[in-house]
Amino acid sequence: MVWLSVTDDKGLENGLRLTEDQQRRRRNRSIAMALALGGLVVIMIAITLVRGPIPLVVPL
Amino acid sequence: MAYVEKLDPTDDREALDISSADVGDYIALLKPRVMSLVVFTALASLLLAPGGVNPVVAIVSLIAITIGAGASGSLNMWYDADIDARMARTRTRPVPAGRVKPREALAFGLILSVGSVAILSLTANWLAAALLAFTIFFYAVIYTMWLKRWTPQNIVIGGAAGALPPVIGWAVVTNSIGIESAILFMIIFLWTPPHFWALGLLKAEDYRKAGVPMLPVTAGAAVTARQILLYSVVLLPAGVAPAFIGLASPAYGLVAAGLGAMMIWRAIPIVRAGGNDNTAARRLFGYSLFYLFIVFAALLVDRGLDQLGWFG
Repeated sequence: MVWLSVTDDKGLENGLRLTEDQQRRRRNRSIAMALALGGLVVIMIAITLVRGPIPLVVPL
Repeated sequence: MAYVEKLDPTDDREALDISSADVGDYIALLKPRVMSLVVFTALASLLLAPGGVNPVVAIVSLIAITIGAGASGSLNMWYDADIDARMARTRTRPVPAGRVKPREALAFGLILSVGSVAILSLTANWLAAALLAFTIFFYAVIYTMWLKRWTPQNIVIGGAAGALPPVIGWAVVTNSIGIESAILFMIIFLWTPPHFWALGLLKAEDYRKAGVPMLPVTAGAAVTARQILLYSVVLLPAGVAPAFIGLASPAYGLVAAGLGAMMIWRAIPIVRAGGNDNTAARRLFGYSLFYLFIVFAALLVDRGLDQLGWFG
C-alpha cells in the first residue's frame, strides 16, 4: 500500500496531472483544515484564560 | 523538485487516487440538520440549568457537543454506506456517491469524536465528556452497527442518542444529571418514534429494498400508524412535565399541552387510513419537527419571561 505522494513544481503527481477542479477542491480542503486548526487554537487559549491552567499534580 | 521520492508505478493504484471531496462533502458527513437539533436542545438545556456557567465555557461546550454529534454522523455514514447506496433518499451522500472514501469518513469521524470529547473534558467536566462519549458510542455502535439492521425497534432504542444532548448540556452547568434533564431527555426520546416512523411510512419501499427492518417494513403500515398514535399520546404528558416539576410555568404547560394535542390530532388521520395516507404522514413528519423546536423554544421564552418577573 502506498501512502506517500509525489508532487513536483509542475503539478505532477505520480505521473497524474490534477485537474483544475481537483486542485481547487484540494485547496479548499487545505483552507478548511487551517481554519479548523486555528479555531482549535483559539478555543484552547480561551479556555485556558477562563479556567486557568489545570494542575497536573493534585496535592494529597 | 519532488517533495517526496517514490514510487513504484506498479504499486497499488488505489492509494494513488486523489480525493475529489470538497469541503461541503465533509460538512455533509456531519449531518448538519441533525446537528441543528442537537445545538438547539443542548443550548436550551444549558440556559435552563440552575447556577449558570461562564459564557466562554458554554459556547465551547456547545461547539464540542455539536462536533461530537457530527462525528457520530460521519461514523454512521461510513458504516451505512452499503445501505445508503440502495436508498434513493441517501444514495447521493458523499460516501455512497464516491466523493469521500469510506476510510476518510471513518478517520474524520474518529478524529472528531476524540477531539470533541477531549475538548469537553477540558472545558466543562468529566461527566459531560463521558456523556458525550457515550452518546457517540451509542449512536455509532449500538444504533448504527447493531440495532438498525437487527430490530424494528431500532429507532426507539436508538433515539436515546438523539435525546442525550440536553442531558449533556445540563451536566456542563451542574456536573450532575437531574430529574429536569431526564424529562428533557424523555421529550426527545418519545418524540423520535412518531417522527421517524412517519418518514418510514413515506420511505417504506426504500427501506425494504435496503433490507432495513423498519417497523413499516416488518409489521406493516397499520401497526406503524397505531404505534405513531400511541407514542404521540405518551409524548403529550412528557412535553407538559416541565411545568409540574418547576422547570417551567403553567403557561408553558398550556402551550405544551396544545402542541402535544396537535401532534395527536395529526396522527389520527394516519391511523384512520391504516398507515396508507402519505399526505397525512408527511404532515405529521413536518409537524413533529415544528413541535420539538417550539417546545424547547417555549421553555426558553418561559424562562426569559420568568426572569423578567412576568410570573411574579
